[in-house]
Amino acid sequence: MKLSTKLRNSGAAALALAVALGAAGTAHAATTLVETGSSLLYPLFNLWVPDFTAANPGIQLTTTSTGSGAGIAQSIKGLVQIGASDAYLSDGIVKKNPGMLSIPLAISAQAINFNLPGLNDKNIKLSGPILAGIYSGKITMWNDKAIKAANPGVKLPAHVIIPIHRVDGSGDTFIFTQYLSDSTPAWAHTVDYGTAVSWPAVTGGIGANGNSGMVSAAAANPYSIAYIGVSFSDQAAKAGLGVAKLKNADGNYELPTAATVGTAANSIVTQTPPDERISMVFAHGANAYPIANYEYAIINTAQPNAETATAVKTFLNWALTSGNDMKYLSQVHFLPLPAAIVTLSKTQIAKIH
Amino acid sequence: MKIRPFRLSLLGLSLFVPAALCAVVLFLIIYSGQAIVFNGLGFLSRITWNLGNLYSDPVTINGIQIPLGANYGILVFIIGTLASSLIAILIAVPLSVGAAIFLAEAVPELERSRPRWMPPIRPALSMLVELVAVVPSVVFGLWGVAVLVPFIGKYLAPSGNGYGLLAASIVLALMITPIIATTLLDSLMQIGKENRESAFALGATHFEVVSKVMLPMVRTTLIGGIVLALGRALGETMAVLMVSGGAINILPTSIFSPVSTIASFIVSQLDSAESDPTNMAVRSLAEIALVLFVITLAVNATAKLLTSGALSVRNRK
Repeated sequence: MKLSTKLRNSGAAALALAVALGAAGTAHAATTLVETGSSLLYPLFNLWVPDFTAANPGIQLTTTSTGSGAGIAQSIKGLVQIGASDAYLSDGIVKKNPGMLSIPLAISAQAINFNLPGLNDKNIKLSGPILAGIYSGKITMWNDKAIKAANPGVKLPAHVIIPIHRVDGSGDTFIFTQYLSDSTPAWAHTVDYGTAVSWPAVTGGIGANGNSGMVSAAAANPYSIAYIGVSFSDQAAKAGLGVAKLKNADGNYELPTAATVGTAANSIVTQTPPDERISMVFAHGANAYPIANYEYAIINTAQPNAETATAVKTFLNWALTSGNDMKYLSQVHFLPLPAAIVTLSKTQIAKIH
Repeated sequence: MKIRPFRLSLLGLSLFVPAALCAVVLFLIIYSGQAIVFNGLGFLSRITWNLGNLYSDPVTINGIQIPLGANYGILVFIIGTLASSLIAILIAVPLSVGAAIFLAEAVPELERSRPRWMPPIRPALSMLVELVAVVPSVVFGLWGVAVLVPFIGKYLAPSGNGYGLLAASIVLALMITPIIATTLLDSLMQIGKENRESAFALGATHFEVVSKVMLPMVRTTLIGGIVLALGRALGETMAVLMVSGGAINILPTSIFSPVSTIASFIVSQLDSAESDPTNMAVRSLAEIALVLFVITLAVNATAKLLTSGALSVRNRK
C-alpha cells in the first residue's frame, strides 16, 4: 500500500510537472484527476471534460472506460480519484471500506429490444415474469401463451426465442436482473442480480460483448431479444430493432421515455437514503418505466491531499449543476437528477477531504 | 577461478525468461491458493459458474469467506477451449499443408513460364501468407462479427444463430494457418535437391515425391508448427470473445452451440469479479489461468514426445 501510494504520488508529481512545463503560461501547476469505470458513463464524461477543464483551467481530468467493477476497485485502492459505476456500492464493500461514497451523477435507463421480422415497429408488451421465463428457458416460443396474453391481437410467430445476455460484467446486467428479481420471486431465489450472473442454461441463448455487441447480435439473429442501455438506443434503432413496452410495478406497460423514466426517478426521490445507495428499478408510479438507475461516481472520502480533494469536489459540484444540463445529457439519452437528490449528493460531497 | 563478465552477463540474461515464467506461475499458485482449497477437484468437473450474490453479506464456509451462493466450475470453459482449438487445427492443417506445398512445389513450375516483366511469384505469395500472421486478432474478430457470423446463421446453422463453436474455430483457424504454413514452407525449401531427384529418378510421380518423400521428411516441423499454432489458439481472447456466443452453465451440443474459452471467459468476468468483497472470484479466475497454463504445458510436452520419436512406430524395433 505504502509503495503504491509513493508510486502514485511520484506519478502524479511527474504528470503535474509535465503539465506545468507544457502550460508555461499558467501561474501554477494543475491538479490531475483520473476517472475510470463504467463504459455507459464514459461518453458523458467525454462530453463533460472539455467544458469543465475550460471553466477550471487548474484541474486536469483524464477519463478512461474500463467497466464498473474496475471503477469501484480502483477507486477503493486509490489508483483513481473518481470511479464511475452503473451500480451503487454493495453492503459488503461499504462495510469493508466505510469511507467510500456512492454519488449519483445522472439518471439512465435500459430498453428491452427485440428482432421480430415484421413486428419491429410494434411495441410488443413484456413483463418481468415473461422476461424471467425467457431468460431461464421456461418460455421458449414467441407464441407462448404468456406473451400472447400480454399482446392481444398481435400475430406472434411460432418461432424459438433467442435470448441474448452480456458476457462481460455490466451495469446493464445489474439493472436488468434486478428488474427480474424484483418482479419475479422465482428469479430472485435462483439467479438473483449482479453485474455478471450465473445465467440459466438456455439452449440457443447467446452471450454478447458490450452494448455494441448486443446490438449486432440482436441484428444478426431474427427472433432474438436483448437488453440494451438507452445510450445505445440510436444504434439499436438504426439496426432496425423493436423496443418493448415493459410492465411496471403498477401493472401498466411503458416505453423508456423522458417522462416515464422521470416518473420512476421522482417516486424514488423521497425514499433515497443519505448515502444514496438505492435501486430505481421497478419503482412505483402509474407511468413509471421499470428499468432505470442512478449512474454513480464512486469516491473515497479520504483523498491523498487537500488540493486533490478540492479538485474532486469542484468537479462533482460542477457535474451536478452545469454538467446536468440537457445539452450534455440528451446526447447520451440520460436524464438530470431531481433537485432533492442534488442536495443529498452535495451533502455527501462535503464529506470529501 | 577466472571471472568472465561476458559469460556471466549472458547467463543472467538467459535466466531472466525462465525466472519471469516461474514468478508468474508462483504468483498464480499463491494468489489462487485459497480458491484451490475451496474449489477442490470439482472445479474441473462442475458445469455451474456462479459468482454468488456480491450485494449481500459474505458467508464463511470451512473458514473461507465467499459470497452467498458462489460456486465455481469450469468444465464448460475447458471443453470450449479444447473444442474450438482442435477444430481450428483440423481446418488449418490441410489449408496450410496445401499452401506450403503449393508455394514450395507448384510455384517453381509456374515460375518457369513467367514472362520477364512479372516479378517473382513465390516471394510475393509467401509474403502474403506471412502478412496474415501479423493481422491483429481483433480485426479477425470484427470480420467474424460482420461477415462470418451472419453467413453461418443464414446458411449453415439450423437455429439461425451464427455465434458459436464453428465461428470461433474458423476465426482461430484463419489466425493460425500462416503459422503452420510458413514453418512448413521453410523446411520444405530446405530439403536437399538430391532427395527429390533420386525419388524422381526411381520413377515416382510428382505427387508421390511430395507425399512419400518430402512430407515424411518435414513431419517434425509440421508437428512443431501445429503446436505453436495450438498455443496461440488456446490462448486467443478477443476474437473468440466476439464470435463465440459466450456460453455459461451449458455444454455445447453441436458445432453451432455457443461456447466460452478459458481466456475469453477470464477477460469477460474480471470486471464483475473485482467488485467481490471477499476476492474469491478473482482468486478463482487466477485458478482458471493456472488450468490454462497446465493445458498449454501438456500440449507442449506431447509435442516434444511426438517429435523426439518416442511415440513413433518406426523407431520401436
